[in-house]
Amino acid sequence: MNGPFAETGVIGPLGTLLSAPLIGFAFGWFLERSGLGSARKLAGQFYLTDLAVFKVMFSALLTAMLGAFWLDAVGLLDLRLVYLPETFVLPQAAGGALFGAGFLVAGLCPGTSCVAAAAGRLDGVGVVAGMLAGVFLFNLGFDWVAGFYNSTPLGAVTLADLAGVPRGVGVAVVTAVALAGFAIAARIEGKIAMKSRHEGS
Amino acid sequence: MTRVHQALAILAAVLGLAAGAADGRSTVDVSQLGSEIDAERDHVEAPELAERIMRQDPTLRVIDLRTHAEFDAFHIPTATLATLDELTRATFPPDASIVLYSEGGTHSAQAWMLLRLRGHRDVRFLREGIYEWLSRVMEPRLAVDATAAERADFARAEAQSRFFGGLPRSSVPRAEVPTGYWTDELGAGELASRAPAASAQQAVARIRRRGC
Repeated sequence: MNGPFAETGVIGPLGTLLSAPLIGFAFGWFLERSGLGSARKLAGQFYLTDLAVFKVMFSALLTAMLGAFWLDAVGLLDLRLVYLPETFVLPQAAGGALFGAGFLVAGLCPGTSCVAAAAGRLDGVGVVAGMLAGVFLFNLGFDWVAGFYNSTPLGAVTLADLAGVPRGVGVAVVTAVALAGFAIAARIEGKIAMKSRHEGS
Repeated sequence: MTRVHQALAILAAVLGLAAGAADGRSTVDVSQLGSEIDAERDHVEAPELAERIMRQDPTLRVIDLRTHAEFDAFHIPTATLATLDELTRATFPPDASIVLYSEGGTHSAQAWMLLRLRGHRDVRFLREGIYEWLSRVMEPRLAVDATAAERADFARAEAQSRFFGGLPRSSVPRAEVPTGYWTDELGAGELASRAPAASAQQAVARIRRRGC
């Protein structure tokens, strides 16, 4: 029984459709349990006062990357069948900057805004409404931005492809960067805790 | 940092470093491919393939690389049809033992290289394609002036041929005995001329007429 199940026909279209809300529910649950439904916590990431976002997201990325690599290596998952989004350098850089600005202003990103809205926070409801309005306007005006949207294409590339190294080497490097990031985050949080204790005493 | 965090970090470090090492090992060594070809470990002989189909080897995957029409006309039992393009995306179980065949040997050799480069280790092909299967399994023939080695080979071929609904024939004129690399091995390579493609087409036509 090899994955991805949707591509190899193991679960069929109905199974794929039913698995989506289950995965979405689990995603939202763990985001909420990690405290990422709080805009204050998320904004803390940008001021380096709370690194929960970095730790949660990089933990998820690392787990998924190592899991996907090793499942592929032992033949349980065919990574060639997993959709790899195409890279468009300039539009995605601009989109990333806009996303970051919106993240900082709202204190929420798309996933966490849904979690916040579901938890009854009004700011979450506001961000979700704004996000849907933005999607609607973008689609209405797509013809105006289509040229930029499709500019500077690189195709479906990975970091390992770009660096010209085997995929496993890319995985090893990202793992090392993530672990170094966790260590630095722990040190920063330690200093913050010490500072707050100092101020409190 | 709690002990759980430390343990998870160590696990991630081990898996990450092992990923780098594992991928390095799985890189195809071109000189290894060359030595496999030189040692003729890249192909399987038709009788060996027949024997594996007869004992229902669960790991065996037989791939026919010919056209749809040729496949419909005749194919090796258990074979599935695929194009070279489809093979670039096809998935096989990790323990799959893949055998490829085409009209001759060119397409199968290309497909062999393609699958080996994709990391599949157990891949072989029929060196003379469907012609070899027809000549050695479906319609083996024994010449009237057969050598001792040819007679021994025919005894084996006769049993396999009957299993697959073939038509073994003995005491035929030497000129009607199909030839290939295997007849060189049996010491009869100089005794008849070769026309593999035409012979294969005639054999398929005969099998179709018999309704097999």
